[in-house]
Amino acid sequence: MRLRLIYSTDVVEKPILAEIILKTGIPINILEAKVNAQKGELVVSVPISGKQLEDIIQMFEKAGVKTNILTKTLQIDMDRCISCGACISPCPTRALRFKPDWTIEFDEERCVACRVCVNACPVKVVTVLEA
Amino acid sequence: MQYLILEGSGMSATSESEGIRTIEEINDKIKRGDAVILTADEMIKLAESSGIDVAAKEVDVVTSGTFGAMCSSGVFLNFGHADPPIKMTKCWLNDVPVYKGLAAVDGYLGVTALSETKGFEYGGGHVIEDLVSGKEIELRAESYGTDCYPRRHIETTITIDDLNQAMLVNPRNCYQIYDAATNSTDRVLYTYMGTLLPNYGNVTFSGAGQLNPLCKDKNYETIGIGTRIFLGGGIGYIIGEGTQHSPQSSFGTLMVRGDLKKMNSRYLRGASFYRYGVTLYVGVGIPISIVNKRVAATASLRDEDVLVNIRDYGVPVRPDRRPVVKRVSYAELRSGKVVINEKEVPSSSLSSYKMAQEIAEVLKKLMMQRTFFLTKSVEPLPKYREFKPLSVRRRELMVLDVMKREVFTASPSDDVQVAAKKLIEKRIDHLPIVDEEHKLIGIVTSWDLAKAVAQEKRWLNEIMTRRVITAKVDESIDVVVRRMTQHNISGVPVVDEMNHVIGILTTDDISRKLVGGITK
Repeated sequence: MRLRLIYSTDVVEKPILAEIILKTGIPINILEAKVNAQKGELVVSVPISGKQLEDIIQMFEKAGVKTNILTKTLQIDMDRCISCGACISPCPTRALRFKPDWTIEFDEERCVACRVCVNACPVKVVTVLEA
Repeated sequence: MQYLILEGSGMSATSESEGIRTIEEINDKIKRGDAVILTADEMIKLAESSGIDVAAKEVDVVTSGTFGAMCSSGVFLNFGHADPPIKMTKCWLNDVPVYKGLAAVDGYLGVTALSETKGFEYGGGHVIEDLVSGKEIELRAESYGTDCYPRRHIETTITIDDLNQAMLVNPRNCYQIYDAATNSTDRVLYTYMGTLLPNYGNVTFSGAGQLNPLCKDKNYETIGIGTRIFLGGGIGYIIGEGTQHSPQSSFGTLMVRGDLKKMNSRYLRGASFYRYGVTLYVGVGIPISIVNKRVAATASLRDEDVLVNIRDYGVPVRPDRRPVVKRVSYAELRSGKVVINEKEVPSSSLSSYKMAQEIAEVLKKLMMQRTFFLTKSVEPLPKYREFKPLSVRRRELMVLDVMKREVFTASPSDDVQVAAKKLIEKRIDHLPIVDEEHKLIGIVTSWDLAKAVAQEKRWLNEIMTRRVITAKVDESIDVVVRRMTQHNISGVPVVDEMNHVIGILTTDDISRKLVGGITK
């Protein structure tokens, strides 16, 4: 599951993520990070679900970090896709690849909705749905 | 028996080129429904399992296919005359300009023409796709009015059915091979080869490799003027070599034409390359008649056998001078990763292999259904063509002509106050920072110094920019101005090969030089 973590000015300098990893032992992986002195926004992947996920979201919220669960970020109109591959190699997280039949396969778990593929697509069939 | 002893000597050359079957014989078999037709993929498998001799003996035709962005494409249109009539001197379809240096109501719409209202989002390629899809298109035209053509303005809508002719005529399609692209610089490049990530972050390539028509008949033995082909979902013909045809280096190209009215928008797709421009993806399939063993051999070539260069698009020089980073096969490129500088780099295509396969299949089916027959070419494609760059005979402004040779520099351990004083005294805005050997290691501007004073910083090494954008003496001013605009800066140090500062170039210098040029 991917989460977007939004740090406000009050908490941006605290090592909240590190503390939660140490406390829970869950290997949270940072996929994207935009942090400055005023605020921070991370997209992380957490290899858990159900109750465990709820708990970890609670821990972030309690520490003052807003969390959004990211689902279905990218949509490819497969009827209009020409299977060219222009989106594949520019993808920084390797979330796009060819299937053996040379059609495009999208790995939602890896996507950080950076929009590189949206721009790279020559026939404009990739859209990002805001989660 | 027209290909006897073309090259080499002895029996083998003779038997390689000895005619096995003629186009007429193959057409008879297609008519009877017993021609052996394989797609290029199937031919490769057969040659691998049974050998070229067997493949040459058994197979009559191999179908090839390609589906890629082909910028030298366009359509000749005849709109018909309105009442009162107009001699259109300017014309737009959905705000995309149509070339009007032709007769009153004839025009040519090129696929890279940009919409005057939507820019990179929509262009000639999109209009062609929309026409073929049967969509209504806005037609607007202007004229100066003549005695025979009094109307000066027209605005209406058209569909493809309203046109007398819509003839796709593409000056250059079907590149035999195409060099792949990568990027050595530290910023993302948006090119006609797609998005190129910094520091060799990815490789993009184009071309169908083992399915590509010209690769499958690389000695041009069956492909020539008059060859009937699959074009954009309809029927087309090769009308000659394409522009920039350069067969001696395997960069053969084709000029093709076909009736747009009979085409299918599945095989003609308008496209936009981010921050580059618009184009058209064109589907082309060509039947390769296996007239002799040599054609059988080339028709069996695999991606592994077709080599291309990976070039660095980070160097702003003409295409054939872009540094070659590596030479690889289409098989390596298609595997999804290429090794550059001992690092695995993801590679992906811009042309569609899936659609190329589909086109080869469709062409095969058309022949099996006896609706597509082969034609004998009336003239072969040239095997040699000069390929020249454009030399610029007018002298262009170079960095050397404009830069100031007197450069004031500072050392990283200099005091901010001292540096600020120097800028005011010398009336300059840029201060390159150099080491003991006069090599560039940073830069500070008057803005940096103002900030440093406000923040009470003391030493230049606390405030200097370490990643300095530079220029070389032999670069054109045009290129350097674009670089300065991209980085939003007003000056660049000029450095030599050893990174020694030898001059400085600012926007002030450039405007002074240009204004000076005008008043002279």
